[in-house]
Amino acid sequence: MSRSSDTEAVYDLTDVLEFDALESVRSGSNILVSGPAMSGKEDLALSLLADGASDGQGTLAVTTGDSAMNVIDDVLERAPDGGPSTVSAVDCRGDGSRRGEATESGSYVYHVSSPGDLTGIGIGITECLEYLHNNGADSGRFALTSLSTMLTYTDRKAVFKFCHVLSSRFDSAGYLGVFTIDSSAHDDQTLQVIKQAFDGMIEIRDNDSRREARVLGLAGQPSDWREF
Amino acid sequence: MPVVLIVEDEPDVAETYNLWLADEYEVRMAQSGDEGLAELDETVDVVLLDRMMPGLSGDEALERIRERGLDCRVAMVTAVEPDFDILEMGFDAYLCKPIRSEQLHETVENLLKRSQYDDLLQEYYSLVEKQATLEATKSTAELADNEAYVDLRDRVDNLETDLGDTLGGIDDDEDFIATLRGLSDVEE
Repeated sequence: MSRSSDTEAVYDLTDVLEFDALESVRSGSNILVSGPAMSGKEDLALSLLADGASDGQGTLAVTTGDSAMNVIDDVLERAPDGGPSTVSAVDCRGDGSRRGEATESGSYVYHVSSPGDLTGIGIGITECLEYLHNNGADSGRFALTSLSTMLTYTDRKAVFKFCHVLSSRFDSAGYLGVFTIDSSAHDDQTLQVIKQAFDGMIEIRDNDSRREARVLGLAGQPSDWREF
Repeated sequence: MPVVLIVEDEPDVAETYNLWLADEYEVRMAQSGDEGLAELDETVDVVLLDRMMPGLSGDEALERIRERGLDCRVAMVTAVEPDFDILEMGFDAYLCKPIRSEQLHETVENLLKRSQYDDLLQEYYSLVEKQATLEATKSTAELADNEAYVDLRDRVDNLETDLGDTLGGIDDDEDFIATLRGLSDVEE
């Protein structure tokens, strides 16, 4: 697969979140979505996937909580123009051993035995990318929900390295990566270390039942908090 | 000099590999899986493991190597194109007989680069952790004046570049999976 320097696709995320810094995000960028429990991180990650799916971009979700089928259905519901054959998911909830299969509607699902099985997740990602590529998607968006669950199965050193290696992989695949983390579930130092594996961050918070976000590290100064 | 262990039951074949590699690597040879395991220690960087051998097979030998937790890279040498997913099996690479000299060199070099990548990634992580500790305990103003911190930031930046240059980042599926395999001790 060619490296990003040859292609240089950019992703416009402003239909989902209106920030200047999200207008042209370089392909191969990895973004951390950080916020406390129940602040809408997963919802935002799915919206970002669906936004790409409706443009015909490849979609790859790694899920530790929801079933792969739920995630795929959710993305396709939000992106009525998206085709099932360029949507895929790696299911890490641990329902049996590693295996991949096309679904009836033509999406692809790979099962991994646990959120701590980093090799299995890697094989799943490789198979999904190949499936998407064979169905005509040469760029796309990736989301992993959530790093917090992975951190309960394996240590932060492994998770940090995992994120870094994935970021290199997406750089050459021309993908955009989005990873969620529950900021209320980890100590400051862990968050600080994990952050370092990313190109930028979207922080979200609940402010009097209004959802607010700000963008850090992608372009220019950190943005102000804004409702979304 | 990096150490390559050749585990091959046919002496002529083993000797040929030895001749090809001996200029650039320290080569050790073993004629069976059991002998290979006995020769194996933490100084070995790359193992060339013949799949079909009398006694302990290549697959079984691989399993024992992984059990011992050694971080050497293992290339399987096979007479037939494998009809299974080589990555799932835990090998880092495979070579189909007959092997040409150039192929062998390429494979060994690539496996050494992966080890180098792993070492860089480990160093990168420990520096990032140190950086996070300093950031958690000092104010931004203090950090700007802290020579150790400024130096650390430079080293983190340099390592990022080195990592990007090794293996061309990670743009190959086999490199990708093999690197992930080295990250955690979770039972598979």
